[in-house]
Amino acid sequence: MEQVIPQEMFRLFGIPVRDTVVSTWIMMAFVVGAVLLVRKKAPIVLEMIVDFTGDLASSFIQGPTSPYIPFLGSLLLFILFANLFGIFPVVVTPTRDINTPLAMSLVVLIASFAFTIKVKGLGGFAKTFLTPLVPLDLIGYFSRTMSLTLRLFGNILGGEVIVSVLISLIPVGVPLVMVLLASITGVLQAYVFTVLAASYIASAVGDASA
Amino acid sequence: MDQMEPGTLIALLTIITPAIAMVLGALAPTILEGLAVLKALDGMTRQPEAANDLRSTLIITMALLESTAIYNLLVALVLLFANPVLERILPLG
Repeated sequence: MEQVIPQEMFRLFGIPVRDTVVSTWIMMAFVVGAVLLVRKKAPIVLEMIVDFTGDLASSFIQGPTSPYIPFLGSLLLFILFANLFGIFPVVVTPTRDINTPLAMSLVVLIASFAFTIKVKGLGGFAKTFLTPLVPLDLIGYFSRTMSLTLRLFGNILGGEVIVSVLISLIPVGVPLVMVLLASITGVLQAYVFTVLAASYIASAVGDASA
Repeated sequence: MDQMEPGTLIALLTIITPAIAMVLGALAPTILEGLAVLKALDGMTRQPEAANDLRSTLIITMALLESTAIYNLLVALVLLFANPVLERILPLG
């Protein structure tokens, strides 16, 4: 079980840095390198990703979706690669640590506020907090952030725990099946996270304007 | 059974409780997910042109239903591997 729990690797200016953070750095370098390579060799792949994100956004958000595509697309790519990065040897899955999904969910929360300010202005944003149902809204913001975090973290951690238990039982061959299943779950969770982020942003942006 | 220490009973309960939680927590979401898939497939065969809308809605719904099972899994993992009560009762050296 020890290999599932994130370990502290070193301290940077007194701040403990876990192995998941180092793995995230390696992953970010890998993704940036891959995107630069793909842009030179086959730019149509990148256009397909942008189209996919645009379709995903346009099924939730009314009006032009181009302001939201950079945010949703980077969220999709980051979580997709973060979920799948544990396949490679030596590195660990970044989303295995609860802090990574929590950071993503907080980014979604802040982005929904930022998009609300951008669309409706600061007054419109303040007006969403001037209703009698503010406590319920605050509970909603908290619980949707918690549910986004725990869903991603629990899915990835569940896969990792099952694989590590299987490795301790039958080390050869059999864990590969569960690794495959966990990878499918990881792809699906990246999609679901992005879809839910899009729907939260859509509800925040289009809510009080009516 | 008479000479059982209170710590042993609590340790036993914290092993049995995750099992029960996983059984019940896996049962209800899977049944409901099956119902959702059933209805969605029904709709897809009736109206194949609506299949894309139905599929994306189905995936989101299934993820939302699945998250309750995931919460159960997290609680079970906490009880098994990071139990706060057990650590207070049985101080491990």
